[in-house]
Amino acid sequence: MIESTRARFGAYETYGKLKSKKRNERTMNLLTIVVVIFFAFLVLIPIWWIFRTSLMTNAEIYKYPPSLLPNNWLFSNYEKTLKVFKYWKYLWNTMVIIVPSCLAGTFTATLCGYAFARLRFRGKKLIWTLVIGSMLLPSMVTLIPLYIAWTRGLGLHDSYLPLILPYFCGGGAFNIFLIRQFILTIPKELDQAATIDGAGYFRILFSIIIPAIKPAMIVVALFIFIFLWNDLLQQMVYINSSDKFTIALGLTNFRGQLKSDWSMTMAATCLSFAPGVIFYLIGQKYFVEGITMTGLKN
Amino acid sequence: MDTIKKIPKRHTRNSTSEALAAYICLIPAFIGLIFLTYLPLLGVLGISLSNWTGLTSPQFIGIDNYIKLFTTDPYIKDSILATIYFSFLAVAGSMIYSLFIAFLLNRKIPARGFFRAVFYVPFVLPAVAIYVGWSWLYEANFGFFNFVLSEMGLKKVLFIADSNFVVPSLAIIAVWLSGNLIVIFLAGLQNVPVVYHEAAEMDGANGWRRFWHITLPNITPIIFYNMLMSLIANLQVVTPALVLTNGGPGNSSRFLTYLMYDQAFVNNRLGYAGATTFLIFAIIAAFTAVLFMTSNRWIFYEGGDEK
Repeated sequence: MIESTRARFGAYETYGKLKSKKRNERTMNLLTIVVVIFFAFLVLIPIWWIFRTSLMTNAEIYKYPPSLLPNNWLFSNYEKTLKVFKYWKYLWNTMVIIVPSCLAGTFTATLCGYAFARLRFRGKKLIWTLVIGSMLLPSMVTLIPLYIAWTRGLGLHDSYLPLILPYFCGGGAFNIFLIRQFILTIPKELDQAATIDGAGYFRILFSIIIPAIKPAMIVVALFIFIFLWNDLLQQMVYINSSDKFTIALGLTNFRGQLKSDWSMTMAATCLSFAPGVIFYLIGQKYFVEGITMTGLKN
Repeated sequence: MDTIKKIPKRHTRNSTSEALAAYICLIPAFIGLIFLTYLPLLGVLGISLSNWTGLTSPQFIGIDNYIKLFTTDPYIKDSILATIYFSFLAVAGSMIYSLFIAFLLNRKIPARGFFRAVFYVPFVLPAVAIYVGWSWLYEANFGFFNFVLSEMGLKKVLFIADSNFVVPSLAIIAVWLSGNLIVIFLAGLQNVPVVYHEAAEMDGANGWRRFWHITLPNITPIIFYNMLMSLIANLQVVTPALVLTNGGPGNSSRFLTYLMYDQAFVNNRLGYAGATTFLIFAIIAAFTAVLFMTSNRWIFYEGGDEK
């Protein structure tokens, strides 16, 4: 090791560039940091601007030139907003959709991923192709037929079930794919040892595979969370009455009502940001890991 | 020796029970694939051949909806153009932005994890709240961007209230949201073998040439993946139109999925909206196919084993 390092440095020195190269690198790194900070600033400034507006009086908002900080931090704006914007109700409704979807989606995706990664059966290739194919299928294509099936066929009007039940069916091709890829990285010897000890396929799944792929399962749950969190179209289609509104629907509606009261609108916006930010801070490690997995295991 | 011989036997004896276990595991996926994916896909084709309004019983009218869509529909042309224009700006912008940031973050700088987290934040915020928030930044008189413009001595712009600016303004938000691409790119960049760089450095290749001939070819599979996913997602753009613009001003942001929503759920023309759905599907499939067909030319597979 030392030999090779020395040899490498030796090679550099024969080029005679070591010193200028180092200096060059340092200026480049400095430049990089400056550019990165600049862009980080660009990314954060919209969020800050929204937040600072939520703490201002309307008079302060329209002041010119605008200030970067509120004069006095008016947290009472939030109290005012909460009286009109039924945040807790919307949050509860959103969670009523998200929690069962995340649990069911993660569990069924794990079952399917396990079958594709470990078990041999007839028709595996064909079914796998169908799963991958559905990954490329744009989700809006199925909106109208599914709407007809849920509301006309099954009579589910103004119900959360059309939003939740699909997650009991494999949790989406992408998530099945993710779980399968993760199971493939677990040494097969572990299951073989368990087979010799007489464990069945489900025993192996629950006592060996699931403990080993917990990080991937958390990632899948987070993805389902983000997806439902961002969705508006489907919620608009299936939910009608205002006491069933989710955060997405509530905020869309709220904006329509209070078009010009920007401080209250921004307070409602910040309230809607909050759960996402909190979940992100808790699960940040898994988010980054998961996204990394999706990119590389393709 | 005995046990080793026994294992393969056990496997053959259990192959039916293994298949049974697999099918049990796959029941949810079967139901999902049949009833939530492939049957609806056929269903939308069937619906598009009818004049269903959801109130009366449907009648088969052949390809009338498609003929109407292409000849008399007042929105379809603007809608296709707006969707493609938006997707082009959003995909190109977010690819360049995220690759550039990932490239910077791949250098040895302090607090890299912190910066990565910062660039990722927009992705975890709910879309509706983001659009509502940005509508304030884009506000005509007191918005943040108009403040910046007037500080720079430029004229005020109406952004989402101006038919020439609405699509680029929405595309900027899409680029801002693409922090997840940065994380994927960064992972790809960190996977490029260091030895390649060292070898090239020995041969006297400068930074730019190393980027062009080593880094970029090595991450082409990831560029492809990101581009594909970003394209499929952006061609289905609908949320900003639902939250902010309602397709306007004029028809300048009447994206195809929004048009479909409007036909089906506002005007109750389910059959007609089915035809629009199929058109969007065809457009997305065409773009996806082009991307796949050209991919052999520019994707570099390590070891030269092209798929």
